[in-house]
Amino acid sequence: MGRVAEDDERAFTELVRRFQGRVGNLISRVLNDRENVDDLAQEVFVRVFVHRRNYRRGSKFSTWVFTIAANLAKNEIRRRVRRRNWFSLDALTEMLSDSLPQLADPTESREQGLEREQLQGAVGRAIATVPEKYRLALVLRDIEGLAYEEIAEVLGLPGGTVRSRINRARGMLQRKLQPLLRKQDAP
Amino acid sequence: MNRCDQARRLFGAYWDDEVTQAEREWLESHLAGCPACRQQYEQFARTLETVGSMPRTDTATDLPERALVAARRAAAVPDRIAVAPVRPMWIQVTATAALVLVAAGAVLPWLGMPGVQQMLAHREARVAEPRIVYATAQAPGQVKSEAALVDSVLNHSEDVEFILDPVVLHRGRAQMPSRLPKGVQGEQAVISF
Repeated sequence: MGRVAEDDERAFTELVRRFQGRVGNLISRVLNDRENVDDLAQEVFVRVFVHRRNYRRGSKFSTWVFTIAANLAKNEIRRRVRRRNWFSLDALTEMLSDSLPQLADPTESREQGLEREQLQGAVGRAIATVPEKYRLALVLRDIEGLAYEEIAEVLGLPGGTVRSRINRARGMLQRKLQPLLRKQDAP
Repeated sequence: MNRCDQARRLFGAYWDDEVTQAEREWLESHLAGCPACRQQYEQFARTLETVGSMPRTDTATDLPERALVAARRAAAVPDRIAVAPVRPMWIQVTATAALVLVAAGAVLPWLGMPGVQQMLAHREARVAEPRIVYATAQAPGQVKSEAALVDSVLNHSEDVEFILDPVVLHRGRAQMPSRLPKGVQGEQAVISF
């Protein structure tokens, strides 16, 4: 990152290559959107470049880039909720409530059970229905595997708040996925 | 809080391996003897395993190059993120009104001075006096050129009449008899306002 701050473009492309997967994954999981992930990830790296001189040497680059990505994701959620024609939490809730009873239908045999892709789709939608402030913490912890301290830094929150948000998010997710998981457990 | 509630509160920390040794031993012994909590913990763990095993999202292989092009473009323009806060409109309006009042307060007494009034009266007299501009003299029968016409002659004491086409200038009303030398024919025009 030090080289990027000194306008080294090759270092910048190398940095993008190294972090594009994690940034793209964070954004796509928070927004439950895989189609626009390239554009949004690109915007994150553009911000990294534009603000490269604000980066504090010695601090962890992943924390900084996740902070930028988390802020962008938050703005994007709000923008989409405002527009409503693209992404709607209500619509997602509806989609989820439509899909879960169907997936949890007890008359359906286990052999006809869920394919992995369906399960992942349902989990993705369930994550997207968790309120934004809990969702970001959850994705950073349980998908990206960041330490609590790092999440606290990324979100600008005290460690205790981060822990409590992650716990609440996990509880919400468990309740949402319970019918699906019960169905899978059924003989 | 009963023992089951206490146990369920520890699920997250237990999953993250953030419990003390004493908490771990207590929770494990509770789970061994409580089927309901054990089932709850299994579902909790399955949920987080499922979330954690979600496939990674692939990003475009040319993203680094695309990001560089976009970054160069963005760096070439002023920062799009840090924007100076917009001041409310009423501040500007109030400031302008205050400025006008102060200026008026400073100028009005000055206008009341005798010397100034004299000067203004003289200026008004000069403006009121009809000014006649003679067009270039031309021989009889000669076609008048547009350049020969005066641009404008303003008499502020009359009604306003805008003449945009020099040819239409013929329709202006002469205010005074011609002062052209004898034997010289020319056009005389006065535009009245």
